[in-house]
Amino acid sequence: MTQIDIEGLVKTYEASEDHDVEGNEIVAVDHVDLQIRDEEFLVLVGPSGCGKTTLLRCIAGLESITDGDLRFNGDQVNHLRASERDVAMVFQNYALYPHMTVRENLGFGLKLSTKLPSDDIDRQVVSIAELMGIEDLLPKKPGELSGGQQQRVALGRAIVREPEVFLMDEPLSNLDAKLRSEMRTEIQELQNELGVTTVYVTHDQTEAMAMGDRIAVVNDGRLQQVGVPEELYRNPTNEFVADFIGSPSINLISMDIEGNRLVSEFGFEYEFSDYQVDDVATVRLGIRPEDLEIDSGGTDIEISVVEKMGNENFIYGKLGDKEIVARTDASIRPETGDRVGISFRDEAAYLFDAQSGTALKTKTDTLNAPQTQL
Amino acid sequence: MSSESIVKLSDRLRFQRQRFKEVMPTIPGTAYIFLAPFFITFVLFLAFPIFYTVYLSFFTYQGVASDPLFWVQFGNVYLEIPKIASLEFVGLANYQRLLRDSVFHQSMFNTIYVFAIELPLMVGLALGLAVVLNAGFTRFKGVFRSLMLLPVSANTVAYSVVFVVIVAEGGLLDFIFQLFGIAPLNWLGNGFWSRNLMAFMVVWRWTGYNMIIILAGLQTISESLYEAAEIDGASRLQKFRYITIPQLKPVLLFVLVTTTIGSFKKFSEPTILIGAGAPVKETRTVVYYIYEVAFQNLQLGYGSALTVVLVGIVMSLSVIQLKWS
Amino acid sequence: MHEKSKTEALWRFGGYGFLIAAALFMIVPIYWIVIASTLPQSAILSSSGALPQLLPGGHFVENFQALQSRQYVNFMSSVWNSIFIAIVYTVLALILCSMAGFAFAKYEFRFKKSIFAGILATLIIPVNLLVIPLFLVMSTANMTNTYAAVILPWAAYPVGIFFMRQSMQAIPDALLESARMDGASEFQLFYRVAIPSMRSSMAALAVILFLFQWNMFLWPLVVLDTDKFTIPVAITKIMGQQVVAFDQLMVASAVAILPMFVVFLALQKYFVRGILSGAVKE
Repeated sequence: MTQIDIEGLVKTYEASEDHDVEGNEIVAVDHVDLQIRDEEFLVLVGPSGCGKTTLLRCIAGLESITDGDLRFNGDQVNHLRASERDVAMVFQNYALYPHMTVRENLGFGLKLSTKLPSDDIDRQVVSIAELMGIEDLLPKKPGELSGGQQQRVALGRAIVREPEVFLMDEPLSNLDAKLRSEMRTEIQELQNELGVTTVYVTHDQTEAMAMGDRIAVVNDGRLQQVGVPEELYRNPTNEFVADFIGSPSINLISMDIEGNRLVSEFGFEYEFSDYQVDDVATVRLGIRPEDLEIDSGGTDIEISVVEKMGNENFIYGKLGDKEIVARTDASIRPETGDRVGISFRDEAAYLFDAQSGTALKTKTDTLNAPQTQL
Repeated sequence: MSSESIVKLSDRLRFQRQRFKEVMPTIPGTAYIFLAPFFITFVLFLAFPIFYTVYLSFFTYQGVASDPLFWVQFGNVYLEIPKIASLEFVGLANYQRLLRDSVFHQSMFNTIYVFAIELPLMVGLALGLAVVLNAGFTRFKGVFRSLMLLPVSANTVAYSVVFVVIVAEGGLLDFIFQLFGIAPLNWLGNGFWSRNLMAFMVVWRWTGYNMIIILAGLQTISESLYEAAEIDGASRLQKFRYITIPQLKPVLLFVLVTTTIGSFKKFSEPTILIGAGAPVKETRTVVYYIYEVAFQNLQLGYGSALTVVLVGIVMSLSVIQLKWS
Repeated sequence: MHEKSKTEALWRFGGYGFLIAAALFMIVPIYWIVIASTLPQSAILSSSGALPQLLPGGHFVENFQALQSRQYVNFMSSVWNSIFIAIVYTVLALILCSMAGFAFAKYEFRFKKSIFAGILATLIIPVNLLVIPLFLVMSTANMTNTYAAVILPWAAYPVGIFFMRQSMQAIPDALLESARMDGASEFQLFYRVAIPSMRSSMAALAVILFLFQWNMFLWPLVVLDTDKFTIPVAITKIMGQQVVAFDQLMVASAVAILPMFVVFLALQKYFVRGILSGAVKE
């Protein structure tokens, strides 16, 4: 039952010799403002090194906060140790205690932080083990378990303490693909059932879009955008978010503005029917692969690769010297070397300021036919 | 010969040598050749003596006191290496004798006493130092590490002498004691303190060594374990108890076993202490006694039996310790 | 980690205090060796509370001369003996152990396992205790009081062969295979390929071996005579003659210990490597 308020959070490190910095500091988290609502499943997503894990560790109390406020339900917790914040964390490498059995691993937190008699602790441990489907594993040691089983124990260890906040640091990244998608749904179900505020870190945008109530995109220590998945998809605030969300990534083409027309260097031209471009000199035009249609009347591209995925095809082609990807129905199967025409609708296109990356125009179309896969 | 024909000749020779090499199989025993020097030395000087000791333990091998090879005298002890003679089979008599030998028992007691004092002190010290050196806040780690490690390189006889000088009446230690208002102790005068002195000396000499080993073990413990424990609510002491110590178990076991073996080997320290006036009865270690028996009383058979028993005890202790883990 | 400052400060204080106390304990004897070897006899022991001299005096040379002029013991020659023996030993043992280690690491041969197990078994035997039979061997061979007597027995140092074997296993087989294909003989493989890759391991082993021999006491005591005494034996002899010659004893100890300290400090990283690879593998 916890709401987390992050205000102006800054975390800096002193640079050591292996970092390439001007000045002596690395800014890992740069003035982040974020509010995480009670019972919300918030995903922190971004490329490697963007600061999302550091931010998570600041919330946990494993890193000290250089500046700014962190509040749980209105109370400032900056000065509290991790052990005092009533949070539970699932680590990327699980961090199970190798010399303890699963039973002892699960019960460790309860033993340390509550005064419960060992019978009660044991009962709690067993019930959580049943919930996670690992009661058979209780007498074993982590070394005897598979990756998936260890992961469940790590989750169980977090749940058993009934904390105020769950923190998860890329818990699925060490699992194989199939297990990963299984666990993805399981974690979501658990979180819905338990109703605990959860902050989840991942670098995989698919995972983020699938799991999060809301997603916070982070880059270079700065929060780029926070919103529900659909919002990020349709109305990214800048080019980074547009590029990061969506797979395959959005097609981006640099264009100059001449009057009403957009002109690219290799001759591709476009004119919006009912949209005016303000006085910006260069823009980037963004079209998502799923919005590109194969249209004999459209602009020509030369096909380089066709990836047939079974239920759909990814068609890669060259527009001038820029590689474009389109996502089509499985029935459309040109050959390498063919020339096809592509077109798109105005409403599906994005425009970004070429210099700042800010979005000038985002999707205005109505939600169209279901996307097969994000 | 003309240069041209010389070249031709050497060419032919090389060609023939190569043909020869191709025809001959690789000598299957190459490995044996590499191994041979080591192995021969090993068998002659290590393996054979082991068996010889056991063999001798069933004999009386009394030396004849003809002109000695050389003699050494210091303090109360006179040592002489003579030339050897007469060998006589006596079966288990030597072993029966050592069961009744009160001097042997006393020397075992002395050795074990020193061990019992030295072990907790040294391991505790090494563990504590390693933990402190591993902690984030310590600066000058390298300096401290080097300093702790220095005594390990000290010559065992020389450092014993230094301790004797420090500890002697009127020496540095007396001065330090006076500074703190403690009455000076007669370290070399009575058996109780001479044994304690030996224990402290050994602690000085070997703590650094064990500290390095424990430190390395500490550094293999993954930081995320401590973080998980922190999140689970562990205090610093709890982390030490539930994470550090269990993870260090193999390392601590190693330290325990090597220290045990080492403590039954002590010879330099008692020799110097006794030479400086410490009471022989309470200070002699087992190895020192064996030395007296074999090279002073020239009873090589009995000395061998003592050696066999000593090795047996040490090995049993090691096995017990390993099994107990 | 996010710490509460008061208990944290307490831990820091305690930690540093502990460290400094231990450091002092280690330093005092070292300090005293340096100082006392420069003091005259009277200054080393102070009677009834007079402050002992805590700074170096100028007496080193005189102490040393007195030491050197003793009868029956030529200290300087014992120093040369120790150095000579330790160096020859180190070289010899290095050769033996690296060759044998190479054999175990890179070759298969009959009895490999049993030979290895046999060597393993001797690790537990404290080396000092082989003195009796070794002495008999030496006197039968009429080799008492020779340098060989002190060097040979320990040349096949079991720890050495384990260490070398382990280090050599790290050399990629492919390297040796390609050298073999280039026509190198097995021995060339050894000293052109294996040895150069092993420099730091060999340095580590060399330090351990040198220290081992330098500190040996019981065996040289048993087997050597006056002209070939090593330092420890010489010191014992001096003590025997007149216990209270503390000034000379301190000089002798200083010579035995201090140069080794310097060498050790310079090479300690190799020593640590040596301990750790043997040790922490448990």
